[in-house]
Amino acid sequence: MRHALHVLASVGTIAGTLLLAACSSMNILEPAQPVAQRTMLADKRVITDTGLYSRVRILGVNTATGPAGFLKIQVEVENTTLSRQAFTYRVEWFDEQGMIINLPTMTAIPRTLEARETASITATAPTDRAKDFRIKFLEPTN
Amino acid sequence: MKTFQPTPLFCCLIGALLLAGCATPASYVDPSSSRMITSVGKIDVQDFGNAADTMVNSLIDNLINQNKLQSGVPSEPALLAISRITNNTGSQIDTDMLVKKIRVALLRTGKIQTTTTMGLGGPEDPLAADQQKLREFLEDKKGGTRLPDYTLSGKIIEDRARAGSIRQSAFIFQLSLSSKAGIAVWEDEKTIVKQGSTPAVGF
Repeated sequence: MRHALHVLASVGTIAGTLLLAACSSMNILEPAQPVAQRTMLADKRVITDTGLYSRVRILGVNTATGPAGFLKIQVEVENTTLSRQAFTYRVEWFDEQGMIINLPTMTAIPRTLEARETASITATAPTDRAKDFRIKFLEPTN
Repeated sequence: MKTFQPTPLFCCLIGALLLAGCATPASYVDPSSSRMITSVGKIDVQDFGNAADTMVNSLIDNLINQNKLQSGVPSEPALLAISRITNNTGSQIDTDMLVKKIRVALLRTGKIQTTTTMGLGGPEDPLAADQQKLREFLEDKKGGTRLPDYTLSGKIIEDRARAGSIRQSAFIFQLSLSSKAGIAVWEDEKTIVKQGSTPAVGF
């Protein structure tokens, strides 16, 4: 009986250590009353990868336009799981007529979020003619 | 009745045929997709795109979008010349894989154009440079060629680390935009870190 309890305690300790090692989460501190005023955008979401969406949740999008008329966007995403999550994203820009603006800098950008981390993804329009955008979130395959 | 007993040689032959049949056929991959191969020991094509995207965003955010860009000719976009981009990595890379992407993106902003007749090591386009000189000679232009308003210079650095079976390569992209007065009016740095486990045999 004592031997069994001893074995159980050892297994429990090892399991607990492994669990703690896998959970690389973080603690966050920020102002209770933020000074910055965000202009949040009503967005449309097309979810085909429910697994990715459940792990990396899009909280919202806010936009700003600089003095020279270039649009800037900020997307807030959250890792809803207790383990590190990797994903890639790609931003596409459209002009006032809805035509896509193609650039050689358009590429899938990798990003990693720690457990329960909230992060902001920012992107600036490549031209002042860009009026619309689309962000694609993808699973990393490599 | 005799039952069929496969010999080891027969089994090897069948196995080899199966493996050959299961080879992945070659296919096209969109360079902006997430299916590109990621290698640890070198800068991949998508890394150049990633770094260029960051640099262009930074340039637009901090200089162009703030109306801080100044052109020598008020009615025309600012003129940019490409200066030294040093490769301090262990691989032989063509720095144009980074610079050309930046140039194209800046041109699309409509605020900056790049000169192809002036650069470190000579003109990028010798024919355009000759045409420019000939035109100035024929028009008896006293003012001379328009000088660049800005020059772009930078460095790509590699740093390697290893911990047990995990190897890490960090590629640091550093760029500066200098004005005619030799002052860096914009600077930024982008670090791309890649990790992978070492193979059982080899590097």
